[in-house]
Amino acid sequence: MLEVHDLQVAYGAAPALWGVNLSLQRGELLCVVGPNGAGKTTLIHTLAGVLRARAGRIEFDGQDITSLAPHRFCSVGIAIVPEGRRLFTQMTVQENLEIGSLLPAAKARRQQTLESVLVMFPALRPKLRQAAGELSGGQQQMVAIGRALMACPKLLLLDEPSLGLSPLIVTELFDAISRVHAEGTSVLLVEQNVGTALRVASRAYVLEEGRIAAEGTPGDLLARDQIRRAYLGL
Amino acid sequence: MSGFTLPSTTLLAQSVLSGVFVGALYGLLGLGLSLSWGLLKLINLAHFAFAFLAAYLCYQMAAMGIDPLLSLVVIVPAFFALGAALHAVMARFAITPFNSLLLTFGLTGIVEAVIQSIWTADFRKLESSYGDHRWKVAGLYVPLPELITLVLAVSLSLAVWAVLRHTDLGKALRASAEDAPIAAAFGIHQKRNALLLAGTCSALASVAGLCLALGFTLAPAQIYAWVGVVFAAVMLGGLGRALAPLVAGIVIGVSEAVTMAVTAPSWAPLVSFTLLIGILLFRPGRAA
Amino acid sequence: MSPARRWPAAQVPGAIGAVAVAMAFLPQFGLPAFYDSLLYLVLHWIVLATSWNILSGYSGYFSFGHGAFFGAGLYTSATLLARWDWPFLATLPVAAAVACALGVALGALVFRVKGIRGEVFALLTLAVTFVLGTLIVNTPIDGGNGVSLAAVPVPALGPRPSSTFYLLALVLAALTLIVAWAISVSKFGAGLFAIHDDEDAAELMGVPTFRYKLAALAISCALAGAAGGVHALFLNYVTVGEVFTITVPLTVVLMSVLGGARHWAGPAVGAVAITLLLYAFTAADHAVAGKAAIGLILIGAILFMPEGVLPRLRRSLRPPPRPAAPHEPVAAPAGANAAAGPGVDGAPLLQARGLAKSFRGVRALSGVDVQVQRGEILGLIGPNGSGKSTFINVVSGLYLPSGGTIGFEGRDLAKLPAHQVAQAGLARTFQIPRPFANQSVLDNVALAAMFAGGLRSPAEGRREAMRWLAFAGLQDKAPVLPAELNLHQRKFLELARALASRPRLVLLDEVLCGLTPTEIDDAVALVRRIRDQGATVVFVEHVMRAVMALTDRVVVFDHGRVLAEGPAADVMQRPEVVRAYLGEAPPALPPTPPASAHA
Repeated sequence: MLEVHDLQVAYGAAPALWGVNLSLQRGELLCVVGPNGAGKTTLIHTLAGVLRARAGRIEFDGQDITSLAPHRFCSVGIAIVPEGRRLFTQMTVQENLEIGSLLPAAKARRQQTLESVLVMFPALRPKLRQAAGELSGGQQQMVAIGRALMACPKLLLLDEPSLGLSPLIVTELFDAISRVHAEGTSVLLVEQNVGTALRVASRAYVLEEGRIAAEGTPGDLLARDQIRRAYLGL
Repeated sequence: MSGFTLPSTTLLAQSVLSGVFVGALYGLLGLGLSLSWGLLKLINLAHFAFAFLAAYLCYQMAAMGIDPLLSLVVIVPAFFALGAALHAVMARFAITPFNSLLLTFGLTGIVEAVIQSIWTADFRKLESSYGDHRWKVAGLYVPLPELITLVLAVSLSLAVWAVLRHTDLGKALRASAEDAPIAAAFGIHQKRNALLLAGTCSALASVAGLCLALGFTLAPAQIYAWVGVVFAAVMLGGLGRALAPLVAGIVIGVSEAVTMAVTAPSWAPLVSFTLLIGILLFRPGRAA
Repeated sequence: MSPARRWPAAQVPGAIGAVAVAMAFLPQFGLPAFYDSLLYLVLHWIVLATSWNILSGYSGYFSFGHGAFFGAGLYTSATLLARWDWPFLATLPVAAAVACALGVALGALVFRVKGIRGEVFALLTLAVTFVLGTLIVNTPIDGGNGVSLAAVPVPALGPRPSSTFYLLALVLAALTLIVAWAISVSKFGAGLFAIHDDEDAAELMGVPTFRYKLAALAISCALAGAAGGVHALFLNYVTVGEVFTITVPLTVVLMSVLGGARHWAGPAVGAVAITLLLYAFTAADHAVAGKAAIGLILIGAILFMPEGVLPRLRRSLRPPPRPAAPHEPVAAPAGANAAAGPGVDGAPLLQARGLAKSFRGVRALSGVDVQVQRGEILGLIGPNGSGKSTFINVVSGLYLPSGGTIGFEGRDLAKLPAHQVAQAGLARTFQIPRPFANQSVLDNVALAAMFAGGLRSPAEGRREAMRWLAFAGLQDKAPVLPAELNLHQRKFLELARALASRPRLVLLDEVLCGLTPTEIDDAVALVRRIRDQGATVVFVEHVMRAVMALTDRVVVFDHGRVLAEGPAADVMQRPEVVRAYLGEAPPALPPTPPASAHA
């Protein structure tokens, strides 16, 4: 469903990704792990259209989306849950969720999708009219995930959803992510917290210093030294 | 130099009422400015020049026998296009907020020169039947032109508020102002929205121009007289809001009017500017 | 060497003085009276624009209140002349003093408030203008009728009354230009330019930003006030409406932006051009078209020449600096960091106790105790968001701690403003390099040498800077602007800048982020050499092999607290650290192999 060939992305003069190759099958929950500074957020932002690649190709559902304008990525079926949530803090929770469903196709199903999001995250129901900036970290993450789900995406991109959250909330969130995956949405999850991520993923890549260092099933990767070396330097 | 004189209740009430009327105009002028600064991050000093240009055009069309309110049919779309064009230029050159202030100042000079070359520096007063009507309500005079201004200001502010709060476009604009890249990731077409908003701001300026023409005598140099007070209203209300400029404008208008009634007209500017200084000193974050 | 200085030092004031003296004789040589007045106006605007530029162009605090200070001087003179019959020339210093006092009072209040920059400062100063105007018009100073000076005698300094004003303006203009030039080549000016580019970074490099801004404002106001004093008698009849408006500040901004706000002569160029242009239009009876032309020019300048005419001109006249291949880094200057000897010493250099920092309810640091030994390389590691960068920001003075103390060589740094922390011997780099974009590589480093390192003059600063650029291998890039460096070079520039003040403690924030493996090896080698000649190094890093290779000890942060501390290879094996990084270990995790050093 998603094919990434030889992706090179840079921030101005600073190269961040060097020739990344990646593929995701329809219905998969793929995980990209790696230490800080490896380029995980750069990868997610490029796949969501927030950043433009300097070289390489991104194919989604058979279509070449590498040079697509930023606001078209959503209509192709890709939705992002950014690192640090990046909610519209001055707007209410409900408005944030509605922003996710501005495009015609998603807008037609807005009420149903909203209801299913609230079923998944019941804690949000009483908070609908509250400003998003006033919610706790965990609740904000729920809103961020909900916002992306409102777009009825084919591919959900998650950038470090566990960042700064307590283990209990992280478990809750990852349960929700598993459920989303089970209902048919493909998921690309980028995480620094290896343990939690590998528990839900069917396949994983290890990103290190802007390059793919390894690929395989979670058990596979853990058995080899790749992950430990990348993270702990041992 | 006059001291403090306590006027009669009727006089005071009349002052408050005229303060409400002029404050409504401050608010209407401030509406476009606030939206532009808050949502587009561009400070459009030429907003005032556009308002005056529209005012002069209304004056001219009235002199040719066209009803001023009717002339809006032509003027509003024209200024919408003008505002969108100006924004397109500024966006193309990626102008910073501060440079937009300087650039639009240059534009103001040009528009002022154009106005002066066509209509000269002499005072011009729009003559229309509207000026002849006024009512007496509860012992206070309510002139028609000022009433029209109030009605337009209130209805337009409410309309903008409704769009910002309840339509998808309004939500998209607010989202883009807060976090542009993520807003784009959710399909928000920022360039198109920005042009729409910029055009609307100038269209609002042109309506304010009509109100100026109805209620005041026009002269090119007068453009600058409104800048300070309207900026005060905009900052007092907070950027990017729809109802706040109107409320702030009325507060300022009434304070000025009461000050004038109690002391002397020349003290009036002190009110708005002291308020502005206070806001800027104690809540500079409002401008960010 | 550096693009900012073209003329040898002493020649500029001499040249200005010579021209001024020559021009002083013009009235004697039968210059028609009309030209007296025209030249007076040109010189008058030169003074106003150049004086404005001293604060606003140099430091970036665009003031829209120049009319207020000019007006204050104007009304001071007018009042002294009309009411108390002072001799004209004696009113001028008083006018300057009053305007200066007004500016200092405003600055003392406004510059203390964080967040008053850019548009806010501009609007604030504009508002002050109108407030002052209103106050004057309503009090006996003006009273609404203006002040008439028709009865005041004009001292005869030349053949006609109009030559008096011409000569006074000439003296003021020469003075203002010399002052503007002198500031631009001094340490004071270097500080102002740094404030323009990045005020926080300047403060962290040791520039006393509050004091400098206040000084620039004071000088600017004094000169404007003097100009106002002269102008009062020139006008003969002064009114509030002419002076306390938006016109004076905007004209002055226009002139400086057009001519080039960073250069001492830029506003003068703009002033001459605009005044003559406006005159040409007025003389040809097209005053209105003149206004339009000015507007058009301003728009053109903002769109196509944002830095002004003068820099554009100078760039086209000067050949670009030759690019050269980077040399091998040179050995460190002798006697560097004399305070410390090589190797690890006993006493702790830095002692943070109970350090805490909260942002709007979020506790970024809570009760952090960290000791840094003299001469060691200490690594700060931990997962994202654990507080490492916050720790560096608090210690270096960018943030004020919410609690705790920072002991450094017998002083508590926790309460000091950032520039004093820098002057105390502590230097830092930024994760994303923050060089001063409009200054050359050499001047970037020289700034640190002057302010944090305590050197007196830009010349000394540059000499010292050159040594450190050589140490970092950047000596060939000295005249170049930072925008032309790649990321690796910019990181090394950050390092050179941090070292130029010969600090005892260097804080590095993710210096290796974004570098290629080869570049990382270069950087690691450089950090080792930094320690070898006497500095103590604390660095935040994620690249584990560098942490393993370089550090004597590491401190692990997690959720704002210190989790563990000790030699790297040992600490990384502790279960709580593994858990912090990897999360709850999945059951299939095999036991860790014996530690092997990575080069």
